Amino acid sequence: MIEGWVLLENTGGLYSTTVGESIEGLERMIVELRSAVRHAAMAGDRAQARTLRAELRRAEAAWDDALAELEESAELGEPAVRAPERTRPKPAAPLLPMREQVHHVLTLLTVPAAPRLIVAVHDAFFSGEMISARLTSLRRDEERSYRSAPNARPYYLCPALTADLLAPARGLLSVSTWAMAGRIVGPLSPRVHYLTSAMQVADYITRLDDPRPAAARLLWRFAANIPGAAEGGVRPESVAKAARAELVIHEEADLYDREASAERAARLSPVVQLFGSRLDVVRDKEETG
Amino acid sequence: MNAGTEAALDRIRGDVPARNHNARTISALTSNPGCNRRGVMDAAGIDKERLAAYVGFPVQFGQSQFAITRGNVFEAQVKANGCAELLTLLRDKLELELPEVSYDDLEAVGGNLSREVRHARTRNLLARAASGSEDAGTLFDHPLLRLEVGGRHVYLEPDLIAFQWKGQFHVVEIKSFPVIDGQADGGKVAAAAIQSAVYVLCLRAMLAEQGFPDSAVAHDVVLVCPKDFSNQLTATFVDVRKQLTVLRRQLSRLTRIDELVSLLPPTVSLSISRPAAEVAEDLGLIEARYMPECLNNCELARFCRDESRGCTRVMGRTVSEDLGGVETVETALGLARGSLAPSPEQVEAASLLRLAWSLRAECLGSAA
Repeated sequence: MIEGWVLLENTGGLYSTTVGESIEGLERMIVELRSAVRHAAMAGDRAQARTLRAELRRAEAAWDDALAELEESAELGEPAVRAPERTRPKPAAPLLPMREQVHHVLTLLTVPAAPRLIVAVHDAFFSGEMISARLTSLRRDEERSYRSAPNARPYYLCPALTADLLAPARGLLSVSTWAMAGRIVGPLSPRVHYLTSAMQVADYITRLDDPRPAAARLLWRFAANIPGAAEGGVRPESVAKAARAELVIHEEADLYDREASAERAARLSPVVQLFGSRLDVVRDKEETG
Repeated sequence: MNAGTEAALDRIRGDVPARNHNARTISALTSNPGCNRRGVMDAAGIDKERLAAYVGFPVQFGQSQFAITRGNVFEAQVKANGCAELLTLLRDKLELELPEVSYDDLEAVGGNLSREVRHARTRNLLARAASGSEDAGTLFDHPLLRLEVGGRHVYLEPDLIAFQWKGQFHVVEIKSFPVIDGQADGGKVAAAAIQSAVYVLCLRAMLAEQGFPDSAVAHDVVLVCPKDFSNQLTATFVDVRKQLTVLRRQLSRLTRIDELVSLLPPTVSLSISRPAAEVAEDLGLIEARYMPECLNNCELARFCRDESRGCTRVMGRTVSEDLGGVETVETALGLARGSLAPSPEQVEAASLLRLAWSLRAECLGSAA
């Protein structure tokens, strides 16, 4: 089922949701909703308070989107106005949408990664600026997009899932087209991911003619925390070799854990498989029921 | 704790959400266990800083925002990429073996942040690890522990990793103060040690509930700090046996909150929706034990100091111990000058005071 998405129509590119209301209107609505929630809570009307809170969260999410759009148009608008005065246009404006950039990085690493690492790898190998603050809202945007039109995109950026509860793992992004076992994080996985990332980064550097200083720095940071990687100077080959040597120790046990969880995960509904289950009674019913 | 006490504490707090104990408040509480005022306020979860400002004694400075940010950044660095840096350090210093890399994050259980759920999960995971099963786990991030303070359960959320090594748990305390040339600020190390001791105590209590001996948790805690002026890490073993003994004794001495509350008049309330003068008056009804050390760790200390002006204990523990039985400075002066006849329990202090007075007179002569 997951592989099937790749073949679906490619709607890539733009992914901003249309926000009907103006940002001021949303702000007014948020304030009103907050006081309504408070009144409902004080009156002891739990059901009403819960509905209102859900509405409030939606309004807040819409506000975030509207703000991101504003920022984006401000970023894109500024160089366009000043362009005639400059000899060279500002290179900072990203050529690809954020999700494509993140997808590139994750494809390079082949394992789930935290935003900090994604930004570091992007800076080392790819062009354009990646704004780490926007990574946080990315996951939510993706989930909303999937829920409104399932499988409309060739891939989704979704959270890695914890091995025990199949819940979204804190701060780890993965790609929906990966095999389920590759998206699961067990107790040993953080280390396995780290070592795999180190190998992938080292590998990528050997294929570059002229790696940037940021790439060397990234490699050095990996090498510092892998035993034996920095012996005789930090070279991509030695880092990859040392990482592989340690990876062998953890790989088997980790894979066993992850595959066992992946089997369990296969029984869940597609949306839970992608975005994880939550130990939250109301939502749980919605998703699994 | 019974329902009556719960209701009384709610009334005392007023219409504001309760604040939680943390390792800092517990170590402060144990530094002055005889203070009923602090005991009641902490049990009721009162925001002491706000209350102090309301009754006219605002706190002059609080925790520095810069220090908090620095602490968080350093912690994130230590824990980044599955604790990569911490693992390197532990392998280097403690000869942790290569397969020991398992990492469990207990900050949220399936997106559920409720304390009961997290505590239950912490307990399960740590018990499984302590029983020594094969996939026992090595590092545990953000466990949620529980401690009984004055008859009431408080949850503690340490920014630390309980780490299992050679069948024993070790508490890892990450602190952002530097260790320069192998030396760190003594006061900060002492504070870190007592906080870690609180966690060791909680961990032991939790494992004891499930039948594990105290030795399952080591009394040596691992203190991780930045080295010199860099962002590199360094680890030190700190023995907290002494702090543990102190904590255990002080916690057992803490008067049970039920008794304390039952002694108070049923109308006492420190709600800041009432007039400031009335709140100050009600505060006076709860007995305090002011000591100069309070200024370091209680937000309300300046109120208590003002209230106990003229008492001998304002001058610190040594002075008040020397003047046992003499409550006020006025009495002390009277006894020294001989204008006041000492009561039987004051005889010893009175002779000391008179000696001091004669020495003073001799030294200063006519200038006195």
